[in-house]
Amino acid sequence: MMKKINVYDQISKNKRLSIILSFLVILTISALGYAIGYIYHPDLAFFAFILAIAMAILFSIGGYYYSDKIVLSAVNAKKADPVKYKKVYDLLEGLCIGAGMKMPKLYIIDSPDINAFATGRDPEHAAIGVTTGAIEKLNKLELEGVLAHELSHIKNYDIRFMTLVSVLVGTVIILSELLLRSFYWSGTSRERDKSGIEVIFIIAGFLLALIAPLLMKLIQFAISRKREYLADAQGALITRYPDGLADALEKIKKENKGRLKVSKATMHLFISNPLRKFEAESLFSTHPPIDKRIKILRSM
Amino acid sequence: MIEWIIIIIALAIIGFAIMAIYYWNRIIVLENTIDNSWSQIDVQLKRRADLVPNLVETVKGYMKHEKNAIKMVTQSREKMMKAGSVGAKIKAGNELTSALKTIFALAENYPNLKANENFKALQEELSAIENKIAYARQFYNDAVLRYNNMITTIPGKFFAGKRKPRQYLTIQAAERVTPKVSFPEA
Repeated sequence: MMKKINVYDQISKNKRLSIILSFLVILTISALGYAIGYIYHPDLAFFAFILAIAMAILFSIGGYYYSDKIVLSAVNAKKADPVKYKKVYDLLEGLCIGAGMKMPKLYIIDSPDINAFATGRDPEHAAIGVTTGAIEKLNKLELEGVLAHELSHIKNYDIRFMTLVSVLVGTVIILSELLLRSFYWSGTSRERDKSGIEVIFIIAGFLLALIAPLLMKLIQFAISRKREYLADAQGALITRYPDGLADALEKIKKENKGRLKVSKATMHLFISNPLRKFEAESLFSTHPPIDKRIKILRSM
Repeated sequence: MIEWIIIIIALAIIGFAIMAIYYWNRIIVLENTIDNSWSQIDVQLKRRADLVPNLVETVKGYMKHEKNAIKMVTQSREKMMKAGSVGAKIKAGNELTSALKTIFALAENYPNLKANENFKALQEELSAIENKIAYARQFYNDAVLRYNNMITTIPGKFFAGKRKPRQYLTIQAAERVTPKVSFPEA
């Protein structure tokens, strides 16, 4: 039962990573807070630091409980109407029975591209979002393959970590942009004697502001690829029909044209990169090459 | 010297007790999973059985010459409602599945029936339930596999008492092999 062990490893890894990420974000935000405070008024830097820590902690806790709602509204997903989307609900219910899981909430994103994502903090509080394009263009077996893939992300607690990344990373990016702006602002409008230490602080703050989003991006890159392969395999274990997902991926490759407009902070949540048109798969892409995924699924 | 022996024996007993508790609980959990997954199948079987009288009513008017096929459906439904044991229920359930399949295959010859909205809705609902039954059965068999593995391999075997491996539910070959045929796209 190697597979089982891997899955449980994955679950505890995701829980661990979620905690580490929260601490990293608290650290980064406090440092940013200190830098912002220092630039505005050096005497208040310590106060700003404390305030930033408090806010970052509150923010991480809030992120844990509300990140799914934030993500769902960020990608403009609407609750699926149980009558209109009965077929999708039926498929999802069947898969949940097969996987022995609680049924997640179902959301719809209005887009002609084929895509889907999962979010939430644990299997009891989870949601799956599907584009209207996926519902219209995929047949039953393909849609099942996609839904089963998303259910696997829920089961593995991938959703907890990946959703936290979305929300926390998004905020760090906003904060560091704020810092950069305030740096310019303070540089032009304020006459101040710049002592040596002060300059160092400002440079450090500036670097931090530049590096923070980069660091966060790197985390985002690092996390997704293995998860996708694992979720593909587990999804196939639920449907017992790996060709379903393989066919769906073929269709995604052929039909998706980057029409799904979502924030970059959420792109790693989707089954296939919503912002890319599959011409080139770079080393830093958040998703494994689609051809490789199809090949693996075909050989199962 | 004697103290050490006592300590070692005590540790061994404690270790064994912890192991016994762990395996005992695991086995009970796996047993409960099987029971729970059976109830999942049961729920779907019941939902399907509830739809059958409605289907029979709808079909009757159109398929005047298919009395036997309709009778098969009614009979297997009754058999299923009366069945007490898991085995009997599954057997009657399988009969109902194939009786329904016959009805839907015959319906191809009756364009008026096929155009009937009520019939279309029922056909869709029944095929959705059929799909869920297949998944529920798959989950049941997975649960049985885990249970059987636990109680037939060492060390679980030592803590299983008189428990016997459970039976798998046999899946009708036709259902999973040609899914494209049994679940046509709408």
